[in-house]
Amino acid sequence: MGRHVAPLIAFDVDSRVLHTMFGAFRPTASVHVGLLWKTPWRLSPTRKANVRDRLKKVDAVIEAVRASGVECAALTKALELPKEHEMDPKDKYTVFSPHDRNYRKGIHKVPKFTRITHRTNPKGF
Amino acid sequence: MASILAAHRRVPRLIQSLSSSRLLATAVSPTATPSSSSAPSVSSSSSEPLTHYRITLRRSAISLPANIKGTLVALGIHRRMQTVYHRHNPETAGKILRVKELVEVQNVPESAVRTKTEQRRERKAPRGFVVVGNRLSEGVLESA
Repeated sequence: MGRHVAPLIAFDVDSRVLHTMFGAFRPTASVHVGLLWKTPWRLSPTRKANVRDRLKKVDAVIEAVRASGVECAALTKALELPKEHEMDPKDKYTVFSPHDRNYRKGIHKVPKFTRITHRTNPKGF
Repeated sequence: MASILAAHRRVPRLIQSLSSSRLLATAVSPTATPSSSSAPSVSSSSSEPLTHYRITLRRSAISLPANIKGTLVALGIHRRMQTVYHRHNPETAGKILRVKELVEVQNVPESAVRTKTEQRRERKAPRGFVVVGNRLSEGVLESA
């Protein structure tokens, strides 16, 4: 009865899924049947800081385009977006969700949230 | 061991590189710029008009929609960290704003614009020596 050592990488022939130690889907401890998918419901302080950083970088890009003096419809729309320091923390770290309690869910649940602009939510939510 | 010593004698003496832009890591320079990103900052004292966008791709468009990928193709960007220069116009401004989450933009004057080969040449490290003469060109063979 030796100690069961989880392999670094395992291929589950039945469900045809590749299990590794890393990634969003991780195998359960002893029985490699099914997937364990746990993500925290909220962002950690580090992730929140990174969100703020990314928002500031996008603000800098919009500002550079504005400073160039060029006029276009995309710039008019971009200038209507709130800047990072004008945003509510609720809007920085959560997004509107019609299905969840309080109609909000963490922004990290949005696919590609690190490379997408999502600053405004429906009014009142 | 002897061969290494012999090789040392054959190495031409180190002459200060003419392009002093690259300093040794351990050298202390009074004009050393503060550590920042590799992007050169346009000095505020420069009176040239800023006519170009300096666009650098910082984040990839992998698994983003095809129109975003197409915008990067239209800008002439093929890989991360690539830098391109475009003149100020509304078309380029619109393209930048389409990919604003992936890109870093600066306004630069015309004198700062570099083509791909020019950027490559500037990236190269200078040789630690300058060739001042050549025995063949001095005509040694003629006298022999």
